[in-house]
Amino acid sequence: MSFVVIKNVSKVYQPDGIDSAVRVLADINLAVQEGEFISLMGPSGSGKSTLLTIMGAMNRPSEGSVMVDGVDVYELPEERRADFRREYLGFVFQQHHLMPYLNTLENVMLPLVTSKTSAKEKRSRAMAVLQRVGLANKATRLPNQLSGGEQGRLAIARALVNEPPLILADEPTGTLDSNTGSEIMEVFQQLNAQGQTIFMVTHNPENALVAHRIVNIRDGRMFNESEKEQ
Amino acid sequence: MRIRSIAWANLKRRKGKAAFLIVGISIGIATVVALLTLSRLIKDEIGTQLDQFGANIIVVPQSNSLSLDYGGISVSGVSLDVNQLKDEDARRVLDIPYRNRISVVAPKILGVSNVEGQPVLLAGVNFDAELKLKRWWRLVGQKPAQDGDLLVGYDAAKRLSLIEETADGQSQAVPVMPMAEITSGGGVHANHIQEKAFRIARDRVQIGGNEFRVAGVITPTGGSEDQIIFGSLPRFQKLLGKPDQLSMIEVSALCIGCPVEDIVKQISTQLPNAKVSALQQSVRARAETVNRLTRFASAVSAVVLLIGGLMVFTTMMGSVVERTKEIGVLRAIGLRKRQIINELMIEVAAISTIGGLVGWTAGMLISWLILPYFSQSGLKLEIDPKIAIGAILVAVLIGAVSSVYPAIRASRLDPSEAVRYV
Repeated sequence: MSFVVIKNVSKVYQPDGIDSAVRVLADINLAVQEGEFISLMGPSGSGKSTLLTIMGAMNRPSEGSVMVDGVDVYELPEERRADFRREYLGFVFQQHHLMPYLNTLENVMLPLVTSKTSAKEKRSRAMAVLQRVGLANKATRLPNQLSGGEQGRLAIARALVNEPPLILADEPTGTLDSNTGSEIMEVFQQLNAQGQTIFMVTHNPENALVAHRIVNIRDGRMFNESEKEQ
Repeated sequence: MRIRSIAWANLKRRKGKAAFLIVGISIGIATVVALLTLSRLIKDEIGTQLDQFGANIIVVPQSNSLSLDYGGISVSGVSLDVNQLKDEDARRVLDIPYRNRISVVAPKILGVSNVEGQPVLLAGVNFDAELKLKRWWRLVGQKPAQDGDLLVGYDAAKRLSLIEETADGQSQAVPVMPMAEITSGGGVHANHIQEKAFRIARDRVQIGGNEFRVAGVITPTGGSEDQIIFGSLPRFQKLLGKPDQLSMIEVSALCIGCPVEDIVKQISTQLPNAKVSALQQSVRARAETVNRLTRFASAVSAVVLLIGGLMVFTTMMGSVVERTKEIGVLRAIGLRKRQIINELMIEVAAISTIGGLVGWTAGMLISWLILPYFSQSGLKLEIDPKIAIGAILVAVLIGAVSSVYPAIRASRLDPSEAVRYV
């Protein structure tokens, strides 16, 4: 059974002041296996990020359903969906969205704030993740004291700290130069090699090639899917 | 790391905004603390001064018989009562549980006597108590010093030709007890306030075959005192043939904020054969005077707090807009709405507590600095922990109420939209 099943998902927006509705996604069907690395490619405005937020239990589809690990995400009440995001999903945003007033270690610990575990345990878990992404020696630095690549790795560390089964990444290299972007992609590859399921939105064909499977989207419709030979 | 750690880190990061809010709340709380502290102190002072201006409880014999008028009050049964008041009753008034609220007990015997061919109302009084009660009296002459000394009302003195107008128009009148010395129990001081100028022309007067010395004449008061001759209580009791009897007892109770009705009840219990009544008009007038002050202070405080609340509201709304992305990220990584609200409310609570504390300190300081300009009798500022706690609670309440809407709005941010926000 697939870990993520997206079934007949459509999304229609009704922009303010405009009578006609805008269809962003139309009849999307997709299945993600556990341990799989999928790249979602498409031009700007194609609906990539919308699909990602729908998978991320943040954006209710107009039609269709999203099942993650057998759970129909949008059948959950809103607050339970927040819990679901915390337990099942790790987000890596294009802008990283790090908290500028928290240091590296604190940024990683952020998803643990509501956890009942002890401060020591939280710290230890965060340090272990920082070790994985190679930032253990920069635990006390503020985000603005890190390089672009380090900030990207920090964003990945934050997404990993709860040990979520699925990582959702929205153009994680979008704001980085090619070298730094490659650095981040290496981290993703390593994680995937360790069994981490990753769904990544990208417009960079080189980065997309790192994935097992590339899903293409245009004008809200999936039109081509290519699988890399293992 | 907990929710409060995020709140604390945020406060440290936005020191300027936090300081602005603290200053705003402090100004509001300081104004309220200063206004309420000053109004309370001044209210107490005015209350005390008003209480020292005359009686507010009258004790008369239980009777429906003959009545006389004294001070605008109908005094019943001066001479024909079955249940006469006795000297001892005046002492028993001070045995009530609220005795510490009673400032003056002034017993009296009243009676009409023929004085040098004219009927005059005589009042036998305890001069010490009477002069404490009638602080507005001004005398030409002296306070009675001996048993046979009299104080004569202006009209009575004029009718009996005891006084004559002075040519130079300068008054020799002195106050019975100057306001500045009311609390310290000071004596008679001379001053030179312009008023009806007269002097005592004759200081001996015959009443019921006895000679008395006119120690002083009361300048016109416009009241019934003007018609009365005041003498010592024992002498007049004897003169009127009512030894040990009293016509009435005037009581001055310090009653701003105290239950005058309870005092009346306690005196009634103590003196079951007497009719005890509060001068409601007097009490209400005093209460009204001081309540106006309180109402004014409360109204200004409400406006100041409203402005403070609006300031917190505006700043918090701005802060929510400014932190849209951050709040969206927190929601995206799994914080519940309630936890977002908690985070913002912890920040506001911390700011408000500091604001309340600083405001209370500043308010007390302001009160201490300006109190001398408001108080005539050297009031002392006392630190009341209840006001301190109240100030902090009000600050937190204002902060919380003003931040509820911004916090709820923050918690309702759509995380998928918020994380796109740049």
